[in-house]
Amino acid sequence: MSLGDLLHLALGRLGTGKLRTALTALGVIIGVASVVALVSVAQGATKGISDRLQSLGTNLVTVNPGFTRGGGATRGSFGSATTLTIDDASAISGLAGVQYVAPELTTNKLVIAGTLNETARIVGTSPAYLSVFAYDMWTGSFINQASLDHNMRVAVIGATTADNLSLTDTSIGSTIYIAGLPFELVGILQSKGGTGTADDQVIVPLTTARELFVGTSSVSAIGLSATSEDQITTVSGEITALLEQRHGIASGASDDFSIVTQAQLLGTVSSVSDVLTFLLAGIASISLLVGGIGIMNIMLVSVRERTREIGIRKAIGARGRDILSQFLVEALALSLAGGVIGIGIGVLASFAIGVYAGWGFVFSPITVVVALGFSLIVGIVFGVWPASQAARLDPVVALRYE
Amino acid sequence: MIGRAVEPIIELEDVSRIYDLGKVQVPALVDVNMHVAKGEFMAIIGPSGSGKSTMMNILGCLDRPTSGRYVLDGQPVADLDDDGLAFVRSRSIGFVFQSYNLLPRTSALENVAAPLMYQGVPRRERLMRAQAALERLGLGDRLSHVPSELSGGQQQRVGIARALVTEPALILADEPTGNLDSHSGAEVLSIFKDLHSLGRTIVLITHDIEVATAADRGVHIRDGQLQEAVLG
Repeated sequence: MSLGDLLHLALGRLGTGKLRTALTALGVIIGVASVVALVSVAQGATKGISDRLQSLGTNLVTVNPGFTRGGGATRGSFGSATTLTIDDASAISGLAGVQYVAPELTTNKLVIAGTLNETARIVGTSPAYLSVFAYDMWTGSFINQASLDHNMRVAVIGATTADNLSLTDTSIGSTIYIAGLPFELVGILQSKGGTGTADDQVIVPLTTARELFVGTSSVSAIGLSATSEDQITTVSGEITALLEQRHGIASGASDDFSIVTQAQLLGTVSSVSDVLTFLLAGIASISLLVGGIGIMNIMLVSVRERTREIGIRKAIGARGRDILSQFLVEALALSLAGGVIGIGIGVLASFAIGVYAGWGFVFSPITVVVALGFSLIVGIVFGVWPASQAARLDPVVALRYE
Repeated sequence: MIGRAVEPIIELEDVSRIYDLGKVQVPALVDVNMHVAKGEFMAIIGPSGSGKSTMMNILGCLDRPTSGRYVLDGQPVADLDDDGLAFVRSRSIGFVFQSYNLLPRTSALENVAAPLMYQGVPRRERLMRAQAALERLGLGDRLSHVPSELSGGQQQRVGIARALVTEPALILADEPTGNLDSHSGAEVLSIFKDLHSLGRTIVLITHDIEVATAADRGVHIRDGQLQEAVLG
C-alpha cells in the first residue's frame, strides 16, 4: 500500500463520521491551542518587561541605599535607608566611564491641576535624569541647571500623569499644586509605552524637593549611565570601591548600598520567564495528553466497531502491517488536523491577549513546530496500540464478528 | 482418495484441524484428503456443525491445519506465517461470502478495487480493472453506489467481481446464495456456471443439495470427514 492509499483511506474514514472526528480532534485542538497560547503569553509578558527595561537604557546602573546579603535581596532599600548622599553622587560623576549621574529623591504627594488631582510619585533630580533614563520630551523643556541652582518651583510630568490631570501642550506655563505648593509646569515627557509606572511621575529639581518635601541630604537612589554597555562591569566595580572608601567599609564587609545593572535585571527577568514558560507549557501539555487519550479511546472503539471490516480486508489480502498502517495513519491524521487547527486558535488567542495586555503579539515559530511535533507524537503514541490490536485480529474470528 | 487430478489446484493430504479449548480438544476436520483439479467446479455439502466452516477457513488460507499437508496452486501453505497466508489470499484466492462482506460506506468500484490495493497495483490501473470486472457482471451503472444502495443480488455480484478482479487460481464461495431470494440465487449460480465454462476453478460450500447441483462434482462433509456425493 502506498502512502497515498493510506491517506485516501484515512481521510475517507474521517470524512464519513464528521461529528465524531471533530469531537475527537477537539481534545488535541484544545491541548495544542493552550500550549501555543500560554507559551506565547509567557513570552509576551517577558517581552513587555524586557522592553520596558530596555527603554530605560541598557547602559543604566542604579545605586540603591541599604544592605545586601550575599548578593541577594536588598533589605530596607526603597526610600527608607539613608546611606546615600548627594555628595556620593557628585563623587561618582567624577569616575571614568560614567557619562551622566542623576541622584533621585523620591516621595509621594498630592498633585492638583485645575479641578483634577492624583497622588503621584514626585522625583527630585538633576537635568541628567533625562539622559540617564533615556526619556524624550513631548513638549516644553526639562528642568535645567538654573532651576536646580535656585531651588525653582518648576515641574515636568510624565505622559500618564498628564493624561490623568488633563494637561496638554497648551498647559505649559500653567500652575499645578504639589502638596499645596504652586509649581510652574515647564514640560511633559514623551510616553515610554508598555506597562509599568515610568510614565506616571512628577519631576522637580532635587534641591526644591529637598527643601520643600523631604529636608534631608540623603537621596533615594542614584541613577547613572555608563559611557558604553561594555563599561558597565568596570563602572560597577569602581563605584563599589569608591563608596566603600567614602563610607568607611572594609573590603569584603557588608556594603550599605547595592548596585543594580540593567543586564542583571534582564537576566533575572529572563530566568523568571523561562520558569514561567515551562510551567505554563507543562500545564498545557496535560490537556494535550488528555486529548491523546481521547484519540486512543475513540480508536479502540473504532477497532471494535470495524472488526468485520478488518476481517474482510484480511480475507482479500491485507497483511497485519497494512491494517496497522491504516489505523495509525487515521490516528495521525486526527491528531495532526487537531494540531493545525489548535495552532490556528492558539495564535489567534495569543494575538488577542497580547493586544489586550498591551505587549503586542509575539509569534514564536519554534512553539508552533514543537506543538505540531507533539500532536504527531500524541497520534503515534496513542494510535499505535489500537492499531496493533486491529492488526493482530484473527481473520476467522473477525469475519464472523457481528 | 477423492478426485485424483492431473493438474491439481488443491491437494489436501491427511489434513486435520483440532480446536484446543483448554479442557477439551474438538476435532473439526479429521484426516481429510481431497484434490481439486484446475478448471473443476466442486461443491462441498454439509449441514451446520459438520466442519464445513473449518473446511472453508483452511481452503481459504484464513486458518492453518493442525496437521497434514495443503498444497494450493503448487505451493505448500500449511506452515506459512500470517504474512505468508495473507500473500496467498491476495494472489491465489477470491472469496465470495454468504453475507457479501462488502466494505460499508465504500462504493462498488472501491470495493472491487480493494484487493488490488493490497497487491500494490497503482490506483489508476486498479480502478480500470475494477470497472471492467463490474461491467462484466452487468453493474457498469452502479460503480459509485455504496452497498446499502444495492439489492442483495447486486451486492453479491459486486462480491463476485471483487473475487474475480485479481484473476485468482481459486474462487471460494461460502453459501453464496444463502441470503438471496430464489431468483437472485439462480442468477448468482448461473454466473458461477459461466465462470466455470470459462475455465475457472470454483469450490462452492453449501448446506443445500439443490445449490450444489450447479457444480459438476460434490463431496459431503459430515463430522469432519468427506464422502463422495452423487449430484442431481
